[in-house]
Formats: sequence, C-alpha cells, structure tokens
Amino acid sequence: MSVSMQERLARIRINAFLYLRADWLARLIDIFGSAEEILKQNAETLAQQAQMNPSTAAHFLRDAFAIDPQEELEKTEKYGGRILIPEDEAYPQALRSIKEAPVALYVLGQLPSKHQACIGMVGTRKITPYGRRAATTLAEGLAEAGAVIVSGLARGVDSYCHAAAVRKAKPTLAVIGTGIGRCYPAENRELARAILQHGGAIISELPFNKPPNAFHFPRRNRIIAALSELVVVVEGEAKSGALITAKLALEMGKDVLAVPGPIDSPQSAGPNNLIRDGAGVVTCVKDIIDYIPEPELFDLQTPSTDKEVQQTAQDLPDTQKRVLEYIGSQEVSADQLVEALGLSVPEAASVLFELEVQGFLTSRAGLYSKNKF
Amino acid sequence: MLASVRSCALRGIDGFEVQTEVDISSGMPTFSVVGLPDAEVKESKERVIAAIRNSGFDFPLKRITVNLSPAERRKSGTQFDLPIAAGILAASGALSKEAVAKLGSLLLLGELALDGSLRPCAGVLPMLISVKPQGGMAVIPPGNFMEGQSAGNAFITPRTLRDLADWLEGKLPTESVQIAYMPETDPTPENKLDFSDVKGQAVAKRALEIAAAGGHNVLLIGLPGTGKSMLAKRFAGILPPLSEEESLEITKIYSVCNLLGKMTRRLHERPFRDPHHTISEAALIGGGSNPRPGEVSLAHNGVLFLDEFAEFSRSTLEVLRQPLENGSVTISRAKETVTYPARFTLIAAMNPCPCGNLGHPHKTCTCSPVQISRYQSKISGPLLDRIDLTVNLNPVAYSDWNKAAEGDTSAQIAARVLAARQRQQKRFKGTDTTANAFMTTQQIKQFCPLPAGADAILEAAMRKFGLSARSLDKVLKTARTIADLEGKEQIENTHLMEVLQYRPLDRKGVPDL
Repeated sequence: MSVSMQERLARIRINAFLYLRADWLARLIDIFGSAEEILKQNAETLAQQAQMNPSTAAHFLRDAFAIDPQEELEKTEKYGGRILIPEDEAYPQALRSIKEAPVALYVLGQLPSKHQACIGMVGTRKITPYGRRAATTLAEGLAEAGAVIVSGLARGVDSYCHAAAVRKAKPTLAVIGTGIGRCYPAENRELARAILQHGGAIISELPFNKPPNAFHFPRRNRIIAALSELVVVVEGEAKSGALITAKLALEMGKDVLAVPGPIDSPQSAGPNNLIRDGAGVVTCVKDIIDYIPEPELFDLQTPSTDKEVQQTAQDLPDTQKRVLEYIGSQEVSADQLVEALGLSVPEAASVLFELEVQGFLTSRAGLYSKNKF
Repeated sequence: MLASVRSCALRGIDGFEVQTEVDISSGMPTFSVVGLPDAEVKESKERVIAAIRNSGFDFPLKRITVNLSPAERRKSGTQFDLPIAAGILAASGALSKEAVAKLGSLLLLGELALDGSLRPCAGVLPMLISVKPQGGMAVIPPGNFMEGQSAGNAFITPRTLRDLADWLEGKLPTESVQIAYMPETDPTPENKLDFSDVKGQAVAKRALEIAAAGGHNVLLIGLPGTGKSMLAKRFAGILPPLSEEESLEITKIYSVCNLLGKMTRRLHERPFRDPHHTISEAALIGGGSNPRPGEVSLAHNGVLFLDEFAEFSRSTLEVLRQPLENGSVTISRAKETVTYPARFTLIAAMNPCPCGNLGHPHKTCTCSPVQISRYQSKISGPLLDRIDLTVNLNPVAYSDWNKAAEGDTSAQIAARVLAARQRQQKRFKGTDTTANAFMTTQQIKQFCPLPAGADAILEAAMRKFGLSARSLDKVLKTARTIADLEGKEQIENTHLMEVLQYRPLDRKGVPDL
C-alpha cells in the first residue's frame, strides 16, 4: 500500500501531539479517512465528530501545526535515518500488530530482520554491582548467541546491556524516550554512536528534537515490550519503569523472566516479586533462550558458557588472583584488601589498577567489585 | 605650635611610615583629623581628649589640626591614638623642649584607654618589621611586648600616657617603662592529635602522607563518620616544621588580624583553619572595603580544611582558584589594591551524595542519579584540576575496627615527609618552586621523565578512566612525590599506578565499550 507524500507529512504532524494515545490517533484517521483530512478540520468539527473535548482538539491542532514535517524528514535523513509509518514495509510487524502502534517511527540504523530474536532487557537506573555483573554476563551471552538486545538506552541496566552487545560487535536496538536527534542521558552519547556503528538501531516515536520528559519513558516501554520476544527484568525497585515494561509485555502475551537477587536489595525487589508471581527464573543465558516461543524461526547458537574470563583469570599473577578471590561477589574497599591480604597501600593500588584496566574490576565510590561472575 | 611624631599604618601585611603632624593655633576650639583616616582613626579624637585629661594634662581649647602624611594613602587602625596624643602634648607646650626633641626620634604605636593607659593594637609586628625606628626606639603598648621582641628593635612599653611623658622628661628611668625580658614558654604539646588515633583508613593516610610530602591538595570523599575531619585535623602534624621565614610570615598575618595572643612571640605550629561552609567570599579570601586577610591567608603555610565541600556556595569555591594557583590573594578595591600571601594545602571533604549514604554497606541511598551528578559536579573542573589526590573513605565495620591496624604515628610519618621535602629542596635549589606540587611545566619535563612501559599505563588510564591530557601533569607531579618518599631517583611504573588510584570523582557509571 503506497501512501502519498502529503499523507506522510500529515502523519508526522499528528504524531507530534503527545497527549493522545496512538490508538486514539488511529481512530481519528479511521473517522476522517486520512491524516490529511483530519488536519483540514477546525477544532469544533474535530471535537464534534471524534467526540473529543474541544480544548483537547484545539491543542491537538496547535501541536500538529507547530512542527514542520518537511524539516523533520530532512533532519532525520541528514542523520541517515528515516521516518516509518505503519503502511511501510520496513515498519516492524511486531509493532504494527499492537493496539497502540506508533503513528510514526523515527529510525536510525538497521532494524533487526525477522530472523533475529529480539530479547528485551530492562532494569533500574540505579544499578548495583550484582546487577552490573548479571546484565553484562547475560547480554554478552545473548549477543553471542545471535539475539538482539532491546532496551531503552537509559542509565544503569539499559546501558550495560547495550554496551555488552556493542563490545561483542553485535547489533542491539535502543528505544529511546527523546527524539532521535538528542541523547539522554548525555553520557551515553558514545554508546549511542557505537550502537549505530555495530549495525544496531536507535528508534523513537517522538519528534526529532523532543527533549526528555518523565511521561515519555513509560510510553516508550510499550515499544520495547512489543518488539521483544520476551522481556528479562534484571534489577528494579518494587515500583519501577522496568516493571511497567514487564506488565505491558504480559498484556501482550509475552513471557517475562526475572533475574533473582538478594532479598534485602531494593533493586532486586522488582524481579523477586515477579518470580513470586510466576515469572521465569533466569540464572544463565540458556534459561532465556529456552523461553523463546518459536526458536526455530531464528538463527541462534547454543550459548557458550563463560569460560573465557575464567581462563584469562587463571593466567594472572598470584597477588592479582588472590585479590580477585578475596573480592568474590562483594564490594570491597582498598582498605579491606590491605588489612585482609597484608598488602601495602602502594602494592594494593597497583594491583587494583591493573585489574581495573584489564576489565576484571570496576570501582565505584572507592569500592571495587568484579565485572563478571 | 607645630609638632611631628612618627608612626605606622598597614597596607596588606606590610607597614609604612606615617608622620603624625599636629598643629595648634588660636581660633575656635576644633579638633580635626585629616589625611584619609578611617572610622577608627576618626574616633580616636574622643579617646585622645579623655586620655589627655585623665592623665593630668590640660587639653588645649584651641584649633587643633592633625594631619596623617602621606595624605593620599588610607589609614586604619587604632595605633594612632598614642602618636596623636603625644603630638598634642608636644604642640601645646605641655612637654619641655628636651622632651619634644626626644619624642622626635621615637616611633609611636598604641591605642589609648580613656584613663590614659595603653592598650594593644593590631599589626605591631609587621609595622615594626617594615618601618625601622632609625636610631631611636619604638614605643608600643605592653600588651604587644612579644611582637616587639619578635621584630627585634629596641623598644619601650610604658603603661600609660603619663608614664611616657614622665620618661620623656627624664623623671622616670628607662627600666621602669620596660618589661623585663620574659622567657618564652616552649610550645607545649598539649593533647597533640596523632595519626595513630585513626584506626584503619590506610589508603587515606597514605594519600595524606603523599600530600604532605609534595604540597598536594586533597579531596576526601566519604560517608559521614568515616573519619574525614579526624584525618584532616591531624594533617598539620605531619607537615615539616616551620622555617624561621615561614613562621614570621604567618605571625605577621595573625598580628594584622589581631589574633596573636598576648604571650605569643612567634607561631610555631602550622595553622589549621576550618571555616564553616556558610562562609562568605570575602571572609574566605579576604576583603572588605578596608581589606583584611581571609581564611586562606590565615591558613598560609598550613592547612585549609573545607568540610562539606559541596555545600559551599559555588561562587565561594570559585574564588579559591586564584590562591590555589598563585599562593597569594590580590584584593582590588576602588581605593587600593593589596596582596596577602595564601599558600596552603587544601583538604576538602565531602559526602558522596546529598543524602550521604551512597556506597554504604547497609543503608540505602535515596538520591536520584541526577541529584548525585549535580551534587558532584558542584566542584568545577578548574577547581578539581588543582586537587591532585582524591580519596574515597569507606566505613569501617566494627569487626574490622576492632582489629584494624593503628598504623604509624604522626612522628614516624613526619620523618618520612621531611626526608622527601629535603630531597625536593635540593632539586629545586635556586628556583621559586618549593615543592613538587608547584612544579612548572618545564620542571615537570626535566624532573619527571617517564619510565619504560609508562605510556601503556597512561594510555590505559586515559581510555578507561576518562583521564584528560591536562590531568597528566598532576599525575606526574604526584608520582614524583611518591618517588621522593621512597627515595627513588626516577619515577617508576608502580608510582604512576598508585597515583591513578587517587583519581578524581568516578565517571557517572558509564559502561566500557
């Protein structure tokens, strides 16, 4: 089905009104026959025919005419992206079938093919060292197995999941809560660039330069849920955005898996509650892949176990091995190492430096923890 | 009749000579002081009138004009009471010719009480050092005896205006207007703070040792109660002892601020200043329409401890940049510009986040990531660039605290620091540089050659920790200090690695790519 350029521009216009759910916009298109037709109405007829509040209708038209769709197209193309509408063939099938399919989808990079299994991985922005290890290990394993990680490019779990895929030079899909012309949080700019470089994609339904706003994020979660075969909650507080994604996925009839965590960690309350309510338990990459409903549709390799890291750890000098062993799954300060292992401060400092540079450890506020299990 | 008496005023921490000219002529009884006097100098009229009367002299009911020369410079302080009173006595004919001649050779400083007795005033030491009483003697209040002795001039300390007049007339022998020499009591080590009081925190102690050895500034980040202030208060104790010159400098500053006790001749301990975080800019770096040294100058040659560093107002923190860079503060006002010395070691302490629980083993931090990054970014880049060592302090669990090593005593650490300082003195002989932290780019090139394999370390640090090229200089200077502490001629790779563990605030949890 081909859509005229005029209609396409009109769709971009009506998509700019953020206070009406996408299914309402679709209903408007149904009532008037096309987006072009909607924009020809005045606020009163719009309100009357679509049974809308007159002030909402006025606001709708104001927002729709406030943006320049031609400019939106040009800017997106300048970034090497495109704006898809549901009639386009490239528009993801998984999105087209949901109730609230985005009226317009801004896409940078390469969307996953239908042979690639998309796995949603979501979680808190306040990641703990445990969450970091879990996110990194699982996401790296999934990426190596050939799955595409779908997440939200936020701080914390999201960025660790994307980064794991990028490190393995595999594509990953970021659904962001701002326009694609922006990066939020700004510190993830490097990561966003790397995602595009490794064949991944960054998508958003928001106008090109839309700044972040609290209500954008729960909204974009439906896109993450829709695009994923299943959703893995790595870490999340009892009430968090990650759980919204999980709930939406369940409503769409998808499986939700959770990474169990310590019962006294607030960041694990979300996944632990999900498990209590019947979510699948994730302890390794295979647990996730086993849950994919029709695995034969995708090109997936059986995940390798994480021998690689252990192998390199075996080759380390003695002191470094002792330090890693002592740290275990804890967060440990340099002072504790000095006391427990009888090292001098300069010794401990250079050992920690080497382990950190080689990627075995991460320090946060003076506490060191392992990057992987 | 006309009389002229020599006196002094302060500009910055130096004195300049002021001629106090008094003219008494017939006419309507008036008493005016000219020559840019400040409020306290103008008020001296009332004290002088009462003091003269209460000393048993007649106050001349004539037209009295006092001129403070050089007339174009502002004069402040209460030290003009005595010279003005003496000038009036001389000009009114209350003193004999011989006495007036004797008065001309003296340098007079002192505040007068209404009963005519002399009260101590500020800045006697720097004024006596800058203005020598050429052949004659200085006259200072008994309360400033120690400062007079410290300046090393001949001086007398009459108790009252009457005593001074009687001595001038030859009615009192010199011995009776002088205090007998008082031997200075040695600075007693009363409840000295020692590093071994702090249990555990080996990393922080090591960082402070490096800071003391090389004059580096330190930022301590830690949860409340981890010992940040405890460590900072003990820091001055491991710095090398004050040299004569340094001691004189700080004594002068304290004299200007009137903070020297009656019994202090010289300050022998390095100052430790810990202003509250609500301090104003002017109080921190000095200022006022009539400039006074601020906390940074009072911390000269010592330690400035800023607790709750991130709670200071942003503009207050920014004014710290000049003293940290130059070791002095220049205060420019419409009327004058003064420079105060301000070379101190900055020890800043802050919580890791606004709620103070980030990284606590049991408590939960309630701050949002945005709050944390806003809190930490309150310390601007240019300021962080002047801080060479950043240390994270973590709470010590009771089980650890109980068995934690006490570590070395302050005396042991101070000995190592002194040895490292001596190495630096030898290295920087004949230059203005006093410690590694103040090396110029040229000196860094000369004294901090990189060992083999260092390139890989620094490259990894830049990639992994987001270290800027600008901060590499800091790393080299600090590594030089560690090498000095170990008595090594050259910087070694382990030194660099250690320094890199004292790097500034973490990046905001961005994963590696």
